[in-house]
Amino acid sequence: MKKLLQSLFFLMIFAGSAFSQERTVSGTVTSKEDGLPISGVSVRIKGAPGGIVTSNTGKYSLTVSSKATGIEFSFIGFLTQTITLGSSNVVNAALVGVSKSLDELVIVGYGTQKKGSLTGAQGSVSAKEIENTPILNAQQGLQGRVAGVQVTQSSGTPGGGISINIRGTSSISGSNQPLYVVDGIPINTGSYTQVAAGGQLTNSLADINPSDIESMEILKDAAASAIYGSRAANGVVLINTKRGLNQATKIGVNVYSGFQEVAKTIPTLSGPQYIQLLNEELTNRYGTGTNYNSLSGLSADPSTYPTTNWQDLIFRTAAISNYEVTARGGNEKTKFAISTSLFDQKGVVIGTDFKRYSGRLNLDNQATDKLKLTLSTSFSSSVNNRVNNDNNIYGTVSGAFLLGSHIPAYNSNGTYGRDPISSVDNPLAGAFENTFKYFSNRLLASGAAEYKIIPNLTFKTSLSLDYFTSKDRTFLSTLTNAGSGSGGSATEGQNQEINYIFDNTLNYNKVFNDAHSVNILAGFSYQESNYENILAAATGFPGNDIRRLSAGSVRTTASSGGASNALESYFARANYSYKGKYIFQASGRLDGSSRFGSENRYGFFPAISGAWRISEESFLKNVNTISDLKVRASYGIVGNQEIGNFTSLALVGGGANYLQNPGLAPSQLGNVNLSWENTAALDLGLDLGLFKNRLVLNLDVYQKKTTDLLLAKPLAAFSGFTTIQSNIGKTENKGLEVGLTGVIFDKKDFSWTSSFNISINKNKIVELSGNPYASGFASWVEVGQPLGAFRGYRVQGIFQNAAEIAAAPKQAVTSNPLTSTAPGDIRFADINGDGFITAADQEILGQGIPTFMGGFTNNFKYKNFDLSVFLQYQGGNQIFSTTRSFGEGMNSVFGQMATTLNRWTPTNTNTNVPRAVYQDPNNNRRTSDRFLEDAGFLRIKNVSLSYNFGPKVLNALRVSGIKLYAAAQNLYTFTNYSGLDPEVSTFSISNTAPGTDFLTYPQARTYTFGLNLTF
Amino acid sequence: MEFNMIKYIKFKYLAAFLIAGTIFSSCKKELEAQKPQASLDAPGAFTNAASVKAGLFGVYNGLQSSNYYGLLYNTFSELGGGNLSHVGTFPTFAQVANNQILTDNVNISDMYTAIYSGINVANTIIAAIPAITDASLDKDATLAELRTLRALMYFDLVRYFGGSNDGYSKASGVGVSIKLTPTLTEADANPVARSTEAQVYTQILSDLDFAIGVGTYANKITNRAGKDVANAIKARLELYREQWVNAEALSTTVIGSTRYTLLSNTNYGDMWSAKNSTESIFELDFNTADQNSIAFYYYTTTTGGRNEISASAALNTAHEAGDVRKAINFTTVAPIAKTKKFTRVSTGDDNVILFRLAEMYLIRAEARVRQNTPIKIADGLADLNVIRTRAGLGPLVSISQADILTAILAERRVELAHEGHRWFDLRRFNLTSTLGIAQAYRALYPIPQREVLTTGGIIAQNAGYQ
Repeated sequence: MKKLLQSLFFLMIFAGSAFSQERTVSGTVTSKEDGLPISGVSVRIKGAPGGIVTSNTGKYSLTVSSKATGIEFSFIGFLTQTITLGSSNVVNAALVGVSKSLDELVIVGYGTQKKGSLTGAQGSVSAKEIENTPILNAQQGLQGRVAGVQVTQSSGTPGGGISINIRGTSSISGSNQPLYVVDGIPINTGSYTQVAAGGQLTNSLADINPSDIESMEILKDAAASAIYGSRAANGVVLINTKRGLNQATKIGVNVYSGFQEVAKTIPTLSGPQYIQLLNEELTNRYGTGTNYNSLSGLSADPSTYPTTNWQDLIFRTAAISNYEVTARGGNEKTKFAISTSLFDQKGVVIGTDFKRYSGRLNLDNQATDKLKLTLSTSFSSSVNNRVNNDNNIYGTVSGAFLLGSHIPAYNSNGTYGRDPISSVDNPLAGAFENTFKYFSNRLLASGAAEYKIIPNLTFKTSLSLDYFTSKDRTFLSTLTNAGSGSGGSATEGQNQEINYIFDNTLNYNKVFNDAHSVNILAGFSYQESNYENILAAATGFPGNDIRRLSAGSVRTTASSGGASNALESYFARANYSYKGKYIFQASGRLDGSSRFGSENRYGFFPAISGAWRISEESFLKNVNTISDLKVRASYGIVGNQEIGNFTSLALVGGGANYLQNPGLAPSQLGNVNLSWENTAALDLGLDLGLFKNRLVLNLDVYQKKTTDLLLAKPLAAFSGFTTIQSNIGKTENKGLEVGLTGVIFDKKDFSWTSSFNISINKNKIVELSGNPYASGFASWVEVGQPLGAFRGYRVQGIFQNAAEIAAAPKQAVTSNPLTSTAPGDIRFADINGDGFITAADQEILGQGIPTFMGGFTNNFKYKNFDLSVFLQYQGGNQIFSTTRSFGEGMNSVFGQMATTLNRWTPTNTNTNVPRAVYQDPNNNRRTSDRFLEDAGFLRIKNVSLSYNFGPKVLNALRVSGIKLYAAAQNLYTFTNYSGLDPEVSTFSISNTAPGTDFLTYPQARTYTFGLNLTF
Repeated sequence: MEFNMIKYIKFKYLAAFLIAGTIFSSCKKELEAQKPQASLDAPGAFTNAASVKAGLFGVYNGLQSSNYYGLLYNTFSELGGGNLSHVGTFPTFAQVANNQILTDNVNISDMYTAIYSGINVANTIIAAIPAITDASLDKDATLAELRTLRALMYFDLVRYFGGSNDGYSKASGVGVSIKLTPTLTEADANPVARSTEAQVYTQILSDLDFAIGVGTYANKITNRAGKDVANAIKARLELYREQWVNAEALSTTVIGSTRYTLLSNTNYGDMWSAKNSTESIFELDFNTADQNSIAFYYYTTTTGGRNEISASAALNTAHEAGDVRKAINFTTVAPIAKTKKFTRVSTGDDNVILFRLAEMYLIRAEARVRQNTPIKIADGLADLNVIRTRAGLGPLVSISQADILTAILAERRVELAHEGHRWFDLRRFNLTSTLGIAQAYRALYPIPQREVLTTGGIIAQNAGYQ
């Protein structure tokens, strides 16, 4: 920097003295949006080589000859601006951010296109939108920001899995997750943990530091995504990281720190109330004289029991912090971006945390006029401590609800308190005594060379590597129920996956006669991924101090395996535009995959699309109100090859051992015709910009018809196999997406921009391979219903007397009056009208997938203050609360919620909570609409207030930027749902059982305070 | 010069492009080359002696399944037969305990599937053996062992899913679908209607008689099926078939071999606390690397189990005073109401005894008494008294055939408790009604609903369950 100033100074003196026909022009470059100076802007004389960059305070000074006609200002993220030179020696420039421009280049599959010439449906999230938010991974940054993208954080476990569905879910047995492409590398995603901790997954996208991200592009329709062929059916997310700039090195130090808490707890019975409930249950079943003492041998006097508030003991206020140092800079020839960060999050549930170290180096080098070399690398290493949770009686959150409050946390001798008649473990024991560690390391590296063969023809080749390793280490202590029987139990597992990608493309780009713009891409790609794993387990440990396998006396598991897949692809895309008005695009990809059956090895995925930019027509060109009007249409075939690596092969499996002799047994029937799942996607879109794009409307309607779904076709089990994998099912998704962005107010000191999106999706199963079937706890898979429909009985009220029972359809068929339906029991509806309540009296009750969702962002700016308020919402769906079917089931084994205080008794008859009776002979807690609740919510997802210090302070401190901010994440959720969090889902791995809540780890409310310093 | 340089560079990249193209023309081979590493391609998997031997162990591995002898098969017989009570939470177990099994009971479906899966492994290896040329494989002996196991599996299917409401080998007895060829393709899975009970027995006998007729088919260690096991299975089968003379002869063959001896009443429990006792004829091996969860299902949560089942009070009271078996069948120190036959909850390596000498005595006792001649009744009573004496009880003195048969049934209950005989014995004696079962059709388990639906009824449901 100093050197540069010196040479500038020298240049000025030199220029001033030697050439009298030259003069010095100086000025300040600011951002038009906020009026703040921009440093690092390239300033040069129009048409001349060389140039300089602006200083920290946005100032420049340039010697110009008398021949110079103008000065050109260019900076990434802003429109290049040329200002004609007049007589003044002061030329200030206010640059316009490109996000408002249709000439902005956006990243598309295997290249870039002008935003105005896009024919597909593509959404985007920029770095700006997700700054100030304490997010751990890229997916969280997408939530609510883009129409048609549903992001579900199914568990609040730090580092836990997140599911993204773009335009609905179409696959039943395969993956519905999009393809993620990071800096051109299609990465492997998913959960790599080998050890089940309840239903909790890990998230391999958590390896990418979200603040390294420059932008994310979401390719939604076939026009945008079909270039990714057999992996495009679920949409594609292109993640582009920050690259170096032609500027003096800028160093950024970003720190935030804060705390998290649970937003809600659920009231439970006190210890005495619980004992009273048990006494009542037993008396109602066996008559007076039978009480808790008869069941357990312990005192039946409620007053002798303590009250333990388990939720207070397992939830905590937990710290979260992130430390990051970045450096970006370079010159015309070489540019670089470096970042390193530490993210450290404790969970709101005891025993959980996530820590990640990550680093990145992006390099660009213009080796010659024709050859450009780029390197993108990132490394991350994380450690995740988990506890058992989600659908697990040994879990910490689950134990806090399922263990009665009459049990003390600790006995007087210091041991963990436990219920002698229940198998639920003390929730503290699992959290404090067990080990559930997960380590992951990942290296992403991509090197590319781009060579301009002739001015309009570029060849690009790249070789990329996605190297992932993970390690699980668990130990179940003898002090927990899960580990006591086995004398301590340890499991360790290690995975690695090496995925390499070799891409080659030719790109031809030319405008003929100023009217015909042609862009042709052709390429081929080869990708191979190799997975290896090893898992070992042992039991019988000498106490709980040595937790490694070598100390275990009984080696129970030693296994390893390997899998691989390869994809060979040829693809092409042609885009033709006539005067920017009529745009046509066609693309195709031929994918050969090792996953497909030998008779069906190659699939072809074409797409065609067109757009008409009506605003470029003469009759609209002069209408000032309409700055942009475009209609789009696209149709294409895309595939889903996430059908498993070896599903098509007939296999004989090892490990069928006996007497410690190796054994083999047939394990899978082959299907040589097995192929990808096929989606025909149609999209019609409208983009409208008004008042110089101050108001932008994007509208899309789409239809996705998916056929050849991979399903397990049932076989007669007498054959030794129950299923064969076949392409048989069909689903359909239809939807509407609306995005509206506007600058509502734009004055010097105050501005207000607002962005709103809503999407509606209707999902339907069109064809299945066999009979309808149940999934999860209450979910049901049936033709004509959406994926994830709920099915069960319907409640018609509570029987008040024997006469009502006698007149009603027969509920429970037993002859014993003590085990029959009695007043206070639920009356279930006799749907088929046969006079008996049987399994046939169940019907569809609702659905777990939202039918509408969206987000609403408001950014306010007053002087140096920025306030951003982001709301997220969804609805049209229900939650089946298994939490309540246990917590209100009054089944004598599990802790109960305070709502059971309103249970039916002869004196409390006006209620919807049934009577308490031991073993529930009427099965009041069966799957019914009693436990189904509206899952709609509106969440204040993020509020952040930041302050940018002005030039005075900056100059005094000799820094180029200081920003202070405070932010709140998940500040408040408006919902009727009675559980901890309406967004959670217990069966996060299942496509068919969304929206069931069974004591899942809730998302935290997070408050953070941050400081961004730029030097 | 500069022009040439550019040309050169151009050429270089063109060359790279072409080379890459050549690499990719061999891609297809790469696509074919991706194979799983812990499995074999099914075609060609069983083409040498080593893989055939491994396939044979694969059949035993099928027997070990938790859906078969690894838990459900014997447990359900005891649970439905009243020797066990259901103290846990699984509704599917409750259905069995209450004898109110629904056609979609997933455990029953899993059991049916597991047995047929084992049969398919046996069929696959049996079909592969003729083409093996390696002389180190005794093809006939291997076939004999495989067919012994296949006979056992078909017999086990009939015991639950076949027969008649009033027992086995009645005129109208239903059987199960017979499949003797491997399932290699989807077409091989086309359903076949159920055979009659008698037809299945004919098939079982053909397998057993083949095995017994193979000269080189030797007896092996207790954990594998040799010729004695084939004879023992056949003895049990003949009892079900009510072929008393055959049953007597076959059990006499096994008893008379003197390869097996009863343990004394002082070390009766060693049969389970130690493994592979001299009394065992066929004992399914489990070890720490190959576990079952039977003890886990019995034991309480504080002792590391899941407390799903307990020995019933009725079983406890079925013992006469002084019976050494009572302490084995019904524990009275914590964990109470469990059994000493399955105790290895942490290591899961309790063996499962499928055939032992005591059963042969009881088969012979019954087969003799059923022949109903004074001499046979006396001989049968003597056999019964061998077992009673060993249990520390006094000999029974009675001459009434009916009384002795009742005593044999009672003896089988306590001698073979927890070993999976009770439900079938009650069916053989047509006494399921004593369990409080009002609907006689429930003597047969339902064919899994999915099997009936999947085959469009070609594999038909048992009467009463439709």
